[in-house]
Amino acid sequence: MATLQCIVVTPEATVRDEPADFVALPLYDGELGVAPNHSPMIGRLGFGELRIVSGGKAERFYVDGGFVQVAGNVVSVLTPRAIAAEQLDAEAAQEELEAARKMKANTPERMARRDRIVAQSRAQLRVAKHARG
Amino acid sequence: MASPRQLDKRRKAVRNIRKITRTMELIATARFKRAMDRAEAATAYTQRITALVADLARSGLEVSHPLLEAREQTRRVVLLVLTGNRGLCGGYNSSVQRLAQHRLGELRQEGIEVVLEVSGKRGIGAFRFRNIEPDETYTHFEDRPTFDEVDLLASRYLDEFAAGRIDRLEVAYTQFISASRQAPAVETLLPLTEIAGAPSEQSDAEAATGHSMYEFLPSAESILEEVVPTSFKVKLFKCFLDAAVSEQIARMVAMKRATENADEMIRMLSMEYNRARQTRITGELLEVLGGVEALNA
Repeated sequence: MATLQCIVVTPEATVRDEPADFVALPLYDGELGVAPNHSPMIGRLGFGELRIVSGGKAERFYVDGGFVQVAGNVVSVLTPRAIAAEQLDAEAAQEELEAARKMKANTPERMARRDRIVAQSRAQLRVAKHARG
Repeated sequence: MASPRQLDKRRKAVRNIRKITRTMELIATARFKRAMDRAEAATAYTQRITALVADLARSGLEVSHPLLEAREQTRRVVLLVLTGNRGLCGGYNSSVQRLAQHRLGELRQEGIEVVLEVSGKRGIGAFRFRNIEPDETYTHFEDRPTFDEVDLLASRYLDEFAAGRIDRLEVAYTQFISASRQAPAVETLLPLTEIAGAPSEQSDAEAATGHSMYEFLPSAESILEEVVPTSFKVKLFKCFLDAAVSEQIARMVAMKRATENADEMIRMLSMEYNRARQTRITGELLEVLGGVEALNA
């Protein structure tokens, strides 16, 4: 059976470049599962959990938006930040969320900024909670 | 001629300095390797973004974006100058600074309002010395600029550009061409003059057939909208990385030269010391002989 090659790249490092059996991607509007021989696609990522299953074990990452390209059994994830779920700091994310909620949002730009931070920290909390069980 | 004692003292001092420059050279070498690895990782990311844009273009999409359009009138320009926090790296800081200052003069002469932003203590000091107060200064970018830090800066520029508060962003930094060649350069990052991977005018038309094997989620336009700012951010990040790598190389070369000069100086001083010592011994011998002669006479 064909296997996938899952590559996760951030501007600072290539986080992962290993085979996988199944990849679950956090697209901008929901999760998308990619199994081997998936049709080619380019998608926009949201904030959320990237799950890579290989050999029955799942690796979890928090990704901060970006893109994904699937072609020829290669899944390339391009993201500004990818953090292993175990290394997420739930408390820091919680603090960030609370701080963001108190932010003034009296202009459209500020509102967009606040919404983005809220979405990011919520996603981090979700991923962190998931990782702990 | 100086006394042998003095010469020996000087030789010891030079030896101590040599130890320091040699250590600095080794440190710069280690840092250079680390910076280089990071720069390579960033290149991998850039290449993938480029490939993505090429795929987008192949789907017959018109590559257009507000960030790609030049403004009709340029009223306010941000000039970002990237220098090091530390000296002792040859002409690295001064050459960037000189170029930036030249560019600043040019822009001001055209009657354009310039917002000067300087990163690195050396550059800030150099501008202040010339009585030019930078509008914004950064000193937290060391030899390992992180993407998060640059991202903050990049987002601010994007916001200001989108709001029309600035019409252009220029970055003066040291371009890393190869391990043996780095050159100071001024690059215009906003508006993005071109986006890597997009078809140039002379590229064959058959590439853009409108057929693409890719399925776009949600749509090619929406992805392009997101790719362009990302590509700007990565470009800015690359500037920071280039500057960091170049600084370490410059320091490495400067310290290597200093060590070599110290070696040369130690050699010269040793020779002089031996000669002075010899002369003194000869002089003393002559004195003793003279004394014996005088007694015999």
